[in-house]
Amino acid sequence: MQNKAHGIRIAAAVVVILATISYLAVTGVQANKSYYVTIQELQGLGDKAYTRHLRVAGNVAPGSIERSGTNATFVLLENDKTVRVSYKGVEPPPDTFKDNAQALAVGTYGRDGVFHATQLQAKCASKYAPAPGAKPGMQSTAPASSGTATM
Amino acid sequence: MHGDKRMKLLRGFLILLTLGLLGYGFYQAIYVAPTEATMGDVQRIFYYHVPSAMVSFLFFFASFVGSIIYLATRRNHPSRALAADALALASAEVGVVFCTVVLITGPLWARPVWGIWWTWDARLTTTMVLWLVYVSYLLLRRFAAGPQMQTLAAVLAIFGYVDVPIVYMSTRWWRTQHPAPVIGGGDGSGLAPSMATALWWNVLAWLAWGILIMVVRYAVERRRQRVEQHAALRALESSLEVAL
Repeated sequence: MQNKAHGIRIAAAVVVILATISYLAVTGVQANKSYYVTIQELQGLGDKAYTRHLRVAGNVAPGSIERSGTNATFVLLENDKTVRVSYKGVEPPPDTFKDNAQALAVGTYGRDGVFHATQLQAKCASKYAPAPGAKPGMQSTAPASSGTATM
Repeated sequence: MHGDKRMKLLRGFLILLTLGLLGYGFYQAIYVAPTEATMGDVQRIFYYHVPSAMVSFLFFFASFVGSIIYLATRRNHPSRALAADALALASAEVGVVFCTVVLITGPLWARPVWGIWWTWDARLTTTMVLWLVYVSYLLLRRFAAGPQMQTLAAVLAIFGYVDVPIVYMSTRWWRTQHPAPVIGGGDGSGLAPSMATALWWNVLAWLAWGILIMVVRYAVERRRQRVEQHAALRALESSLEVAL
């Protein structure tokens, strides 16, 4: 008897766990279809674009970054579409945030056409290449340079 | 006892091999692999993060197979079923260790290169769910006992394994913060050959370490099962004596 009740309790626990997991999976999938929007999608959203909290993705237009303290303004680029981003946050942008880097700006789209970001996230490429002229072990790839190594 | 001695020798050899591989993997990752162009030295976490993920998938697979064998043989071949159950448990434990390493090295890497510790994108969320599934598997095994628990645990391990391919495919199916796979990710992905070398040495090293721990853990579990059976047998015998 004791054993049976025990088994039922465990079965109930397993059911709860599996139900929670599937719930998380289903809602997660829905939310993650739109983990971020592209600039084209942002501009095609119409009125909805101004009322929602969004993540917008693009490449940082070279030379467009203007920093002041921890804040920065810059232009995100996607093919021929651009959006100006004004970032105001407590933390400075990550080190990987620079010209041509892929970035995600988190915030709201203003009616002034500027995206007001409260958070910046860099998105990393999945192509890893050796830094030019850095570190040991690069005998084969780098011409031993005595010049200053960046990064 | 002859077999015991051989096992000990084999285990000693495995330990030495593992330590050698781990040392060489470390040397490759830290001293040989070139510094990455955009991320810098922090990218070296890659040589631990990715092998841990790969190896955890392998051990969860072993647990999945062990659980299936347990369910298939528990009625007709109880002794084989017990061995499969021990395999499922030992592999799940090692898998959880590696999955934990993935979840620790990930944020450590994300913070400097993404600017955030964590985000609820598909890859990170499904990985967290995977960890929770196998932790609940281990909790179930710890706080319940008997063949019923083993059956339920096996079912949980089999259902839980479904999440592994989801984790793997998540960066291909959905937009994620996490980058697309570096290996086999198609255009725009790839790894310098010297980096690939360091990666595979570390995969091999951590796989060897995982197998070593798993083998030891399996032996301990088998011994525990024998002790349990002896105790059960003795209890049965003594109850018979009382009856007589």
